[in-house]
Amino acid sequence: MTHYDYHRPETVEEVLGLKRVLPAATFIAGGTDLMVRIKNRVLNPPALISLRAVTELGGIEDGEHTRIGALTTIDELCRHPLIAERYPLLAQAARRLGSRQIRNVATLGGNLCNCSPCADTATPLLVYDAQVQLQGPDGSRQVTLAEFFVGPGQTCSSPEEILSQIILPPPPADARTLFMKKGRVKMDLAIASTSVVLVLDGELCQEARLAVGSVAPVALRLPLAESVLAGQKLSSELSAEVARVATTEIAPIGDIRASADYRRQIIEVYLRRSIDQLAGIVQ
Amino acid sequence: MKIDLSFTLNGSPINTSVAVDRRLVDLLRDELDLTGTKIGCEEGECGACTVLVDGQAVNSCLFPAPEVDGKHVITIEGLGESDNRLSELQQAFVDQGGIQCGFCSPGMILSARALLNENPNPSQDEIREALGGNLCRCTGYVQIVDSIQTAAARENSDD
Repeated sequence: MTHYDYHRPETVEEVLGLKRVLPAATFIAGGTDLMVRIKNRVLNPPALISLRAVTELGGIEDGEHTRIGALTTIDELCRHPLIAERYPLLAQAARRLGSRQIRNVATLGGNLCNCSPCADTATPLLVYDAQVQLQGPDGSRQVTLAEFFVGPGQTCSSPEEILSQIILPPPPADARTLFMKKGRVKMDLAIASTSVVLVLDGELCQEARLAVGSVAPVALRLPLAESVLAGQKLSSELSAEVARVATTEIAPIGDIRASADYRRQIIEVYLRRSIDQLAGIVQ
Repeated sequence: MKIDLSFTLNGSPINTSVAVDRRLVDLLRDELDLTGTKIGCEEGECGACTVLVDGQAVNSCLFPAPEVDGKHVITIEGLGESDNRLSELQQAFVDQGGIQCGFCSPGMILSARALLNENPNPSQDEIREALGGNLCRCTGYVQIVDSIQTAAARENSDD
């Protein structure tokens, strides 16, 4: 059994102060991933600094931009009317994350800070152009989520910084959206996942935003596939072409859950299906 | 390093002291002798350790004990009636064959309790969704779903 100290500060200032004194300490939010890693001895922190009593890190604020406190639980995202109305992909992805027991405790900030390519909330936030606010001893800074994700388990934040807020600009008006996730059973981590936002003008695709998870070192947008789709007249041939281009922008690996080829194929099928469904194309 | 904790356990206030690196499941089983909460996978997959914290189902194997301070905790030991009778939900599991070896039952029943508290009349799909994080290796899930529907019907007819 690993032994560690445990601290429960109540303000961000106290959190940052503790981290200065205990540089080897690890931050813990919901702990649903961290506690497993400690049990399996993947991590052996001398101390944990819990963020759970820091009330200023919670809450969802309405405004021109929606600000989601990093400590907001996945279950809160599932239920919040503002999220369901303005950012439906985020609500849908949250409902597909883990079990109810996990969703009750796991936080949005934790899901992002683990920086797993299969984080369920990552692809919706990428298509909504989310930014994250990082707070450290030298003040706070805002970076795009795409900049925040550096590699598997690796973010652009320094060890002294915490993620405090997720900031969402207004979603595109009249957008049609679809989230898809492939797992063997419902509780699984994603084998592959897709978030699609389309703005249509009749048969014309005015704007397209596509993001994919579990098929590259980080969850990512697909600028090339988006550019093939944007400004074009929608057809089943075009969706197939977009999906084919998308497979050139990803770099899946094979692991215990699926082979690289299977992941590539799922992405192609899911993107084609998403675009066809949102555009009302019958196959 | 130890920490003093004050919380409500199965309706009664409790003050205790625990090593800070213990999990809620360790506190319940090893310090407070409440062994109804089971340890299965210890990774949040099986749900055998499910308890309610402030009414919400959580995996007590992933819940650091210090976080329970000031909270309300309900374990399987807290569900029965005061005269040692089983609650209606527990009795329904017995009547419908929702229990076989019994190892998953405390977690199943607490997940079901959380569900019925927020949705007294759940559909079969809603029950299966709520139990997604609880694994049973004996009965299969049909009898467990039946048990919860039976409990819901009995509880609703009491009102």
